[in-house]
Amino acid sequence: MKVLESQTAVLSNFEVYEHLAELQSRKEKRKRKTPPSNQGLVVDRVVEWLRLWPNPLSQTPITYQADSIPTLLQRLRPYDLTKGELIMILNIRPFTTPALNTTIEDMEVRFNEDQQNEILAIIAEVLGQFDPPEGAEGAEAAADTSMADAQES
Amino acid sequence: MFILTKIADLVQIKASDFSKPSIEAIEDNINAKYANKVLQKIGLCVALYDILWTSEGLIGHGTGEVNVNAEFRMIVFRPFKGETMLGKIKSSTPSGINLYTEFFNDIFVPFEELPPGSEYSHSDQVWVWKAEDDVNLYYDVGEVVRFQVIEEEWHDQTPAGPSQTGPGGADDEENAMAPYKIKGSMMRGGLGVCLWWDSTE
Repeated sequence: MKVLESQTAVLSNFEVYEHLAELQSRKEKRKRKTPPSNQGLVVDRVVEWLRLWPNPLSQTPITYQADSIPTLLQRLRPYDLTKGELIMILNIRPFTTPALNTTIEDMEVRFNEDQQNEILAIIAEVLGQFDPPEGAEGAEAAADTSMADAQES
Repeated sequence: MFILTKIADLVQIKASDFSKPSIEAIEDNINAKYANKVLQKIGLCVALYDILWTSEGLIGHGTGEVNVNAEFRMIVFRPFKGETMLGKIKSSTPSGINLYTEFFNDIFVPFEELPPGSEYSHSDQVWVWKAEDDVNLYYDVGEVVRFQVIEEEWHDQTPAGPSQTGPGGADDEENAMAPYKIKGSMMRGGLGVCLWWDSTE
């Protein structure tokens, strides 16, 4: 074995999910000739984890589409986010200010409140969001307003 | 969190696999060797992504196996330093919190990386974050948390030769370590149990 290149590309969870889901469907078609069991195990578990709440992929139908990623990158370009930050946004899909804060370094310094809400709005628009639960009680103010802003636009 | 790694390897197809189409036999062979295994300093291999190149098959002398040189890309789990990701709480000890994901078990958040004001409750065996206003937030087992990767640890599992110092040396202890460990932090705002931050939607 020889590792030619330790990192040729970074994949987002959505891309991994698509690939693994295809593997799983191919496995069903093959029936008798089953693939190695260790692969089946880890693939099933990764898919299970990706579909776990609050992962954005836990929603059915999945709100991500093939063109979501380029669209999001283009829409967020003015904010000058790093590649790592964008990957995290894609994987976690933050919909509150505190959640966004975990994906963007020094967020309070780099962006003012309006900009933060704009970013959240773009994320919600391009990547979709969880349906607001019915009869949600008005809870903490900060998170609430940012959510409301995200929904308006 | 997932990356692609390009690897070159010799694939040996056994005679019992000749009934499969070649490409399938090569894929299965690679997956059997790599899937769910940790490569040192690379990460946890999940599955084959694609095959880039294969040589002609050559029948080995004596075994009847077909030998194929292949270059391929694997999907590898390798979160980068500073990445925020999701995990579940497996257990808590006074030294910190153990996290897991469905496919990866060795994530640890030491107590120094919990937010200030966190205390370990010995009676409940959980960590409690005493936030302001006497609000007690519990790191319950099974909760989904967001954490940030701050460090990774690698332990090579290659068996060492017989040690010169005699049996039961430090080597044995080393071998019991997980090959790939992630150290996480939940210090920043927004990290920790997702429900605390997201339940307001």
